[in-house]
Amino acid sequence: MSFKMILIFCLWVTVLFSQTDWEKWGKANVSYEMTRDSGQRNYSISGDNAGQIFLKSAVVVYWLFISDVDGDNCPFSPTCSSFFLQSVKETNIIQGTFMFADRFTRDMDIFGRMSHYPIARNKHFYDPPSLYTLDESKIKYISAGVAVNK
Amino acid sequence: MNSVNSTLIIILFAVTIIHPQNQLDEQLTKAEALYRNEEYFNSITELKRLIFFDSSKRYSYTANELIGECYEKGAKFTDALNYFARAEIAATNTDEIYNCRINTVKINILRRTTGRALSLLNALDKEPRFNGKKEEINYWKGWAYIFSDEWDKASDQFRRISKQNELGRFCDSIDNQKYSVTEAKILSFFIPGAGQIYTGNYLSGILSLGWNILWGYTTITAFQANRIFDGIMVAEFLWLRFYNGSNQNAEKFAIDKNLEISNNALIYLQNVYKGEKP
Amino acid sequence: MKNILLPFLFLTLLQGISYSQDVNLYSKENRKQFADYLYCQKDYLRAVNEYEEVPGLAASDTIRFKIGLAYLKMGDYDSASVNFSQIGSNSFFYNDAQAEFFKSQFLSGNYGSLNTENGNYTSVKQLKSFAYLFDYEPLPSKEIFISPFEGNERGKLSDFYDRKTNPPYKSELTAALLSTIIPGLGKIYTKEYSDGIIAFLVTGLMGYIAYTDFKANHKFREWLFTGLTAFFYGGNIYGSAASAQIYNAQVNFRLSSDMKLFLEEKDYFVPDYEFCK
Repeated sequence: MSFKMILIFCLWVTVLFSQTDWEKWGKANVSYEMTRDSGQRNYSISGDNAGQIFLKSAVVVYWLFISDVDGDNCPFSPTCSSFFLQSVKETNIIQGTFMFADRFTRDMDIFGRMSHYPIARNKHFYDPPSLYTLDESKIKYISAGVAVNK
Repeated sequence: MNSVNSTLIIILFAVTIIHPQNQLDEQLTKAEALYRNEEYFNSITELKRLIFFDSSKRYSYTANELIGECYEKGAKFTDALNYFARAEIAATNTDEIYNCRINTVKINILRRTTGRALSLLNALDKEPRFNGKKEEINYWKGWAYIFSDEWDKASDQFRRISKQNELGRFCDSIDNQKYSVTEAKILSFFIPGAGQIYTGNYLSGILSLGWNILWGYTTITAFQANRIFDGIMVAEFLWLRFYNGSNQNAEKFAIDKNLEISNNALIYLQNVYKGEKP
Repeated sequence: MKNILLPFLFLTLLQGISYSQDVNLYSKENRKQFADYLYCQKDYLRAVNEYEEVPGLAASDTIRFKIGLAYLKMGDYDSASVNFSQIGSNSFFYNDAQAEFFKSQFLSGNYGSLNTENGNYTSVKQLKSFAYLFDYEPLPSKEIFISPFEGNERGKLSDFYDRKTNPPYKSELTAALLSTIIPGLGKIYTKEYSDGIIAFLVTGLMGYIAYTDFKANHKFREWLFTGLTAFFYGGNIYGSAASAQIYNAQVNFRLSSDMKLFLEEKDYFVPDYEFCK
């Protein structure tokens, strides 16, 4: 009897999810494989100009010899070095450096994090360079503590 | 007159027996054909139509069960569970009930809610009416453990079916390939980098060892030369950092390697293994 | 013989009639019934397909209206609008369809269509006021803006109006200037208190070390720490301006999410037409 009650309760709950069929769907291949959350770094050396290639090389050397062996110290996603690279790519070397300096300072603030940043998939604080380019149209505000699929 | 009468009777009889049955039966056949053609969305539409017009509820179990299977093929697991539950309410015998429960278990295995799958299987195990299904129940318990990445427990379940069970041996071999995360951590605790070398990441291990020797040496010479502040700074911000990094990496590499081993085994099971699977 | 035959015949006939009553699954009436059932199960896509596949069925205003509602519920506002607009002015559903049409237009962000002569419906006027808040054309005066509303709603709308016209923004320039005068002050101004304090401490510490190195004439270290001081000082001025922008984005975000919440609570001023009791 109680089992049936549970079944009926389950049915009631799943009625709330009746949106599955609001779009036509087909066969889906479910992989047995397990996924890993840690984002893989892109070690390939590339860039739009000589400056960016030089910078990327420097960062890759830093990744290989220091960052990869000194543990998981950066609380942010993207990490400080990736943030620097992306900032320079999105703006220019001078503005990118300013953005990096600001990020570096915020990295040292261990008190205000919880109330400021959304949470990325790898449980780090999500803090993309697009918020800091001084271009208002690029700012996509996300509330603090919200889980982000990035 | 008599011959007219009997003809009429035969026709009427034929119509009443064959006709209504045919309509619903045909509907089921149509839905099944769509299912075989992998048109799962349309198959569900036709099955819902069948259920809607089946006032005697004769097709309730079959149709709900098949809808569940359609949703499962489309990886709409929550909906699939919903319809297997409906099918179970409509089920009329032990085999049908068992079938619904096993389908529910399979979905819980596939979506990796293996705790739920195992508790359902344990409940099945305890019910006397399913005594004839012990082997199958053990088999699915084995799969649940495979999907929760506990290959040793999976092997136990398969070997309960038979000592030389194929999957049992397979799970054992995977379990033997795995690295011990504890061992990797202990190794790196005593010799920085050793855990990484144990998991086959030689370059990272040697780098870790190198940094630890460098900053360890710098710290000690600083203290020996009585430069206490420098010594503390180097130890705190450099040596400790790389020492912790070494421990973290030992653990991370062991976990990553194990994941790789598991995934290779899962790919094999999905693509090569021929027996029943979720 | 005949005595047995007659009742048997009668029974068989009766059985035949009672069975064959609900068997033609694809008759027009049965397909409509099935589609109605799907609609009430919120299985909207299947319901729409079923309604549209039966010849002549979708010509009915009721069905057309339901198809529109189904698309609206599924978030396909364009298809919803098309269906609502096909319902003629002599239909029983005309007024509801018009209201739903404008709701669909509003939801798809097509605020311009709210400006038609049909704007004499209260709900359309109310939606139009909200369209102004979502950046459609310059805001009208407050009286005009709140005129379609009454009671509590009027107070709420007045509040939204004030937040839109006079948002509590922080100035990027002020933030940058404050941080130029005292490192970190700009971040305090944008309410990033801990960031501000850390910026002050770090820049100050780097500057102090550079100063002592200059005094002690450490050639390499004096330039290294001067560089680091400039790095953190500049970064903080830049970061304060960026922080003010993020603060403003947050102000906008809060206003628009409050408005959306309010609109959803009020069902976009167009209550659901209930076909399924």
